[in-house]
Amino acid sequence: MMGIFFTHRTSASWFDFRSFSLRLCVLCVLLFATPVFAQTPVTADAVNAVAKRLYCPVCENQPLDTCMTEACYRWRDEIRVQLEAGSTTDQVVADFVLRFGERAVGTPLDPALRALTLVTPFALAALALIGGVFTFARWRGRSARAPMRAAALQPNDDDYLAQVERDLRG
Amino acid sequence: MLAEIGLVSLALAFIAALYAIPASVMGARVERTAWVVSGRNAALLTFPLLLIAALALMAALVGEHYEIAYVWQTTNPSTPLFYRITALWGSQQGSLLFWCVIMGAFAAAALAFNWRAYQRLMPYVIAYTMATLAFFIGLTLLLENPFARYWVSLEGTLITGVIQPAGALPIAADQWVQPDGTLVFAVNAPNADAVPLMTRLGQTANGLNPLLRHFGMIIHPPMLYLGFTGMVIPFAFAMAALASGDLSTNWIKATRRWNLTAWLFLSLGLILGGRWAYDVLGWGGYWGWDPVENAAFLPWLIGTAFIHSVMIQEKRGMLKVWNMFLVIFTFSAVIFGTFATRSGLVDSVHSFAQSAIGVPMFAFWAIMTLISVGLILYRWQRGDLKDETHRTGILSRETLFVLNNVVFVALTLAIFWGSFGAPILSELFMGTDITLGVEYFNAVTPPLFLILYLLMGIAPLSAWGAMSVGRLGRALVVPAALTVACLVVMVIFGTRLPAALVGYGAVLLAGFVAIYETARGAWARRRATGEALLAASLGIFARNRRRYGGFIVHLGISVIGIGVIGSTLYQQETQRTLNVGGSLTLGDYTVRYDGLDAGQIAEDGRVMDIANLTVLRDGAEVAQIRPRHDLFPGDGAMNSMNIAGAHSTLETDVYVLLVGWDTDAAPGRESATFKVYVNPLINLVWWGGLVLILGTLISVAPQDSLPSRVRAQVTGTKRAGAAA
Repeated sequence: MMGIFFTHRTSASWFDFRSFSLRLCVLCVLLFATPVFAQTPVTADAVNAVAKRLYCPVCENQPLDTCMTEACYRWRDEIRVQLEAGSTTDQVVADFVLRFGERAVGTPLDPALRALTLVTPFALAALALIGGVFTFARWRGRSARAPMRAAALQPNDDDYLAQVERDLRG
Repeated sequence: MLAEIGLVSLALAFIAALYAIPASVMGARVERTAWVVSGRNAALLTFPLLLIAALALMAALVGEHYEIAYVWQTTNPSTPLFYRITALWGSQQGSLLFWCVIMGAFAAAALAFNWRAYQRLMPYVIAYTMATLAFFIGLTLLLENPFARYWVSLEGTLITGVIQPAGALPIAADQWVQPDGTLVFAVNAPNADAVPLMTRLGQTANGLNPLLRHFGMIIHPPMLYLGFTGMVIPFAFAMAALASGDLSTNWIKATRRWNLTAWLFLSLGLILGGRWAYDVLGWGGYWGWDPVENAAFLPWLIGTAFIHSVMIQEKRGMLKVWNMFLVIFTFSAVIFGTFATRSGLVDSVHSFAQSAIGVPMFAFWAIMTLISVGLILYRWQRGDLKDETHRTGILSRETLFVLNNVVFVALTLAIFWGSFGAPILSELFMGTDITLGVEYFNAVTPPLFLILYLLMGIAPLSAWGAMSVGRLGRALVVPAALTVACLVVMVIFGTRLPAALVGYGAVLLAGFVAIYETARGAWARRRATGEALLAASLGIFARNRRRYGGFIVHLGISVIGIGVIGSTLYQQETQRTLNVGGSLTLGDYTVRYDGLDAGQIAEDGRVMDIANLTVLRDGAEVAQIRPRHDLFPGDGAMNSMNIAGAHSTLETDVYVLLVGWDTDAAPGRESATFKVYVNPLINLVWWGGLVLILGTLISVAPQDSLPSRVRAQVTGTKRAGAAA
């Protein structure tokens, strides 16, 4: 078990937080997931449910449950064997990540990478929203400074036809 | 000879495109019309030259000229004629040439249609279109030449090259291959077992990638290329406006149809790509958030944002800088998507093999983007891109369109991040190779799509300039009531998933608003003119195709939304091994296995193992389906395909894949393993796509393409109105 935490590294840094956190994550899964020790028959659907969470380690961007290569048939069989041996879904996924790296899953298990990948798009969306709000605020600011011209605003009680006609006129 | 014709045509097209750039720009700068005309003529010449090159390659494909390496790679003697023709875009080199032909056609059409009306812009339009075209012709000519041939060295080995290498000979009738593979030069066969080298080349030829032997794949790439290359025209006009200083709405008027046309083809390409994936890739779905699919989706998203935002500039003279940025980034996304697909940056079933064009393409993308952004900044700091008005209300249509743009941009960034940003950055800076798959996209994109559908429902009800809450609320009452009524019916019939109800609510609201607004417009016209309802409906379409065509597009997107929600949230699947006569039940359907027809040989040489299945519903037989496994002997790594058997109705698809069978059993008695999907409402995705296409066609069609009867009615009404 210690091997999961301390392995020889050739990089300049002796402590790799990301790698450490991934291993910690895997250890938690191994410790706290409830193993089923009885040899129970595992259906193809159960295998596919796990394989759906995994990506083919050799064909990029191909979910393991749908990949039709010989290697993927073997990996699905391996999932079946692990499930029959009592491993949980999370344990099988963690095992694949340990062996093939983070590319074996659709979102990284490593907490730092996971947070980075999932938070960034929302941060980008927030930036886009700030841009939109800024544009609107600029419009409103200039609009407040400029003298009002009655013709520029549309009266709210215009009937619908007038609105359509305005649209049609462009 | 065909290779020589193709090469010379390609080289001449390259020279013509290169010449057109300085001729037109210098002509505009020193006001020498003759130079500009000369540049235009050179630009117009590129299209026929490229067409000749493409026809030469097609003739080589059809005529089985296996001495041309591209023909050897993409066809073999068993390839049917139809696929010989489509092999033109079946691999990197041919598809680059095809891309150039389409780009040349778009450039020629843009010059022909817009020459007189927008003379001030045209020199720069020529320069930008020809710069792009010259770059792609250069790639085709210098790095990925489809006319490269096999040559025979004096030692008897095959060499590939565009030009005859020193000391090598062209492939000819006096070259024979011995059974041990050695080459002999002799007028007649040296022995009975020797075969002509030309024949041997045919025998060993690769053949078309099996995945490309599908109707969707035949049309899908040309549609995508049309969409991609079409987006170059609005970009060229926008850049021409910046370069010439003509920053009026001229460039917008000139590009509206080009932009919508490109968008139409891009939409068609995406829909057909989805259909191809559903039929051929055998995973029960149509959109896998694969990086290459996403690379084609990104320009569509930015292009859609531009279609909306450009209306604000037309109607209110606002967002001039933003629209320029959107045009540039649409083009930039097109080039980036092409780069990602063709450079080997991402590995995918949709991408071409790794290629030498990656670095030059990346450089071109970066340079074009930097020049364009630089031009915008130059005009911006000079004050040439100032908004003409700033007055707007918080619920005005322009405000809601800005919000719509925010969501489109957020979606673009999120999808770009998941497809390229995060994987590339994590590999570069963290040394970790990651894949962001369906889980990522399913977590990030649904909230953004939801907001987009809500805006699609609300924005068309608002008005330009200002809109009161009360008036907007009143306009929303009917569509909202219809939406609630539909949701109640859905709940009664068993739809209980909160995510589905929220999604359906937003999508239905958008759809009902599109229908309601069209009906309201027709009704208002009927009241004003006294026409019959049908005539009034035709009348509003005739008067403003853009507005009402747009509503049909919205309706199509709503129908697609219903299909996506149904097929994603309610998809059921199971995998089971069945003996002959055995059955499995999934949802309302039972699938019975009736036997296997193993080892069937098709005309093109593929070996097909076909399962015979009966689909039953409530005990009654509803369909016979035949999922099959195709094996293409000798077609390399990608040599097999699982073709689903499907029973399709508007309500549901029963989609069955044959994933394995027992080869040891007696013929006809083999047990077989099936993967069965029940995909509710999936056909609405395709039907919605058709509605979307129809709406875009209405929007893009010129006004005088209306039937004369309708035109007479409209003009008659106009005159009557004027007289009154």
